[in-house]
Formats: sequence, C-alpha cells, structure tokens
Amino acid sequence: MKMEDMPLSGPDNTRLEALVHDIYSELVEDACLGLCFEVHRAVKQGCFFLDETDQESMKEFEIVDQPGVDIFGQVYNQWKNKECECPNCKRLIAASRFAPHLEKCLGMGRNSSRIANRRLASNNNMSKSESDQEDNDDLNDNDWSYGAEKKAKKRKSDKNQNSPRRSKSLKHKNGELGSSVGSEPYKYNYNPGISYETLGPDEVRSLLTTQCGVISEHTKKMCTRSQRCPQHTDEQRRAVRVFLLGPSAPSLPDGDPVGESNIFDIPDGQTLMGRLQWEDSPDISPTDSASSKASTNHSDSRRPKKKKTPSLGLNSGGGGGSLSGGSSSSQSNISLPTKKKRPKLSAPSITSIYDDLN
Amino acid sequence: MSKESRMRATVNQKLTEMGERERLKELLRAKLTECGWKDQMKAHCKEVIKDKGLEHVTVEDLLVEITPKGRALVPDSVKKELLHRIRAFLAQHAT
Repeated sequence: MKMEDMPLSGPDNTRLEALVHDIYSELVEDACLGLCFEVHRAVKQGCFFLDETDQESMKEFEIVDQPGVDIFGQVYNQWKNKECECPNCKRLIAASRFAPHLEKCLGMGRNSSRIANRRLASNNNMSKSESDQEDNDDLNDNDWSYGAEKKAKKRKSDKNQNSPRRSKSLKHKNGELGSSVGSEPYKYNYNPGISYETLGPDEVRSLLTTQCGVISEHTKKMCTRSQRCPQHTDEQRRAVRVFLLGPSAPSLPDGDPVGESNIFDIPDGQTLMGRLQWEDSPDISPTDSASSKASTNHSDSRRPKKKKTPSLGLNSGGGGGSLSGGSSSSQSNISLPTKKKRPKLSAPSITSIYDDLN
Repeated sequence: MSKESRMRATVNQKLTEMGERERLKELLRAKLTECGWKDQMKAHCKEVIKDKGLEHVTVEDLLVEITPKGRALVPDSVKKELLHRIRAFLAQHAT
C-alpha cells in the first residue's frame, strides 16, 4: 500500500500514512454500520424480503427474452394491422386511425367543429355569390360588392348565414356603402366580375355608378369592387365609362375636382347633359332637388350611393367642376323617396350651370 | 506516543470541526452505492438473516458478519480517492 510520497520526513510519513488509513477505516466502518442499521430496521418492520415471493410466482413473472415479444411476453404491435368497424358509419377503419376517424365521424372533438364551420362558410359564400351574379338589376345592386367583400372579409368567421344580423347589415349598406366598402383594406381573393357585353346600357350605367367597373385585360370582365378599389385608378375608371357609355359619360363620383372640370366642356345635346346632371350638382338646395324631381329621370341611374361627406365639401367649393354625384344623391334621397333606390339629381341647377358655360 | 496520540486527537478534532468528516462520509456512501457495493452487502445480509433466522437477528450480529466482507468489497478506485482526500486534508491543515 505504498502511496504517493508526501513531502514529509520518514517516520512522520509512515505515521501520517497510518493515520490516513485509520481515518479511512473509520469511514468504511461507519458506512457498514449505517447499512446494518438500515437492514435491521427493514427486517424488524417486515419489509426486507418484499421483493421475494415463493418460487412459483417468481417463475411466473420472470423476464421474457424471446424474439418478437417484449419482456412481459406481449407482442408489441399486435393491434397494428387490425381493423375496427365504426359504429357510426359502419366502415372498417385501421386501428391507428380509428380515434381521429371517430372524432370526425361523430362530430365531437376540437377540430371537427372548426372544419364543419369552415366548410359551411365556404359553401354558403360560393352559393351566395353565384346567385348574385344572376341577380343583375334591382335593389340587390349592392349585393355585388357586398358578396365579394363578405366572402373576403368573413371567410373564416362567418358562422351563421341566416342570422338577422346579416340582413341588417345589408340594409345598412344601401345607404352607407361608400364608407364601409371604401375603408376595406383587404385584398380580395375572389372577384366575381361581370361581363359587360351581356348587360344593357341601363344596367351598365347602374353598375358603373356603384362599382369600379374597370375591365380586366385577362377576363374581359368589369371589376365589381367599390369606386375606390385600390387595384384600379380613376383614370381607368373614367376610360371604362367613356368606353361603355359614350365619350361624355364619365361617372366617377370621387371627388376629383381637377379631372372633373374637363368633363363639363364636352356637353353635346340634351342627352349628354342629362347624363352629366347627376354628377354635377353644385348647389344642392331642397327647392332645387324638389323641382328637379319632375325633370330628371334617366340620370339617376348612375348615381353613386357612397360618397357623401367628401363630395359635399366639393359641392360648396366649386360650382362647375366638382363631382358631386354622391352629395346630390344623398340630398335627393331625402327629397325623393318615391323613386327606386337611385337618388335623383337636381336638374335645374345643373342646367343653369350649363347655360353659363354655353 | 502521547505526542502521536495528541496529534491524532488534534487531527480528528479538526476533521470534525471543519465538516470534512461529514463530507467524506457522504462521499463514501454515494460512491459505494454507485458501484453496487451496497446491493452486494444487502444480498449478503439476506443470507446471514436466513441463516440466523428472521426473528432473532440483532444489529451486532449483522455488524460482525458484514464488516469484514464490507471492508474487502470496497473497490480500489473508491479507496484510492478517499485516501487521497484525507491526505490532502492533512497536508493542508495538520502540521
């Protein structure tokens, strides 16, 4: 038991080594004593021999060491290839897929309700927009854009298609379409689009008063978004209107004083003036709108229902050049409840302007 | 002799006072359990108890049977480490 040399003198060294060993022995004996106490206590309490039973039981629970079987003797992938019959749909499903299948089949569980709702929403949206495309004229004019934006906006959150809230928002949109549609920041993934060839002039005009109407290059369809749709510029909208309704029929209700003043230099004849009437109603006074009731008919179709506040400001500002279809529409709405939803223009005031121009 | 015994007494006292004894004890116990010494000893205890009979076993009986075997069964690595630590302590604090 020669250990490393210690930096000590000879006799001291041995004495020290002896001391070290003594200390070591003490420690080992201490450990043994601790163990003895532990065992003795277990024996006296009766829990020392707990892991040992009689020979037969020992043999029964011996560790199994055969191939294809785990240590308990069970085949571990026994149920992998089994098929279970679903009590709901009576189909044979693989065992590992049985639980998820039940979840969907019975309609319980977290995901199944989500999937069902999403499916319902997309189905309803599809059917609703398709039916909208057939409904061209009439009071559901607003549903064009409403359908598109509803699908885009409420794609995932639309749960109840038949709730009263939905019809309420529809009515709300009739008067306030501009604000709600204009403020929408989403990019639509689905744009039904209209083919302008199939529409009559009145329909085209009615469409163009409410919608962007810019004809897409690829599909040859008119854009059904709002007048302020971010995909098309006002120039495009004006070009489309010129193309569809004649050279003097720009019907952009947006407040665009610079651009619009040019339009009024073009008037040719009464019809054109009639067409222009709706967009330019600088002085909207109740009396004017009242008197205009008699004279104005056809120009009403192109009125945009959206613009209210901005065009009002323009109206007061520039008599000749401001686009005020929106304001005129709002005013006329008040004065002419008998007409269809299209608000009427104030013709006499506009006629007077043209007299000045001419 | 008395000088030596005095020295021993001092060393032991120092060991205990500085907590080194306890530390060494814990270290030894942990190492012995780790290397399986404890399980071996328990198995030996079982045999002793079976020989002596379950009811009449005393602590002294066990101790007498176990200690020699226990001392012998301590692995060399554990022994070396412990000796080393003791020597280090003595070199540091004694003399």
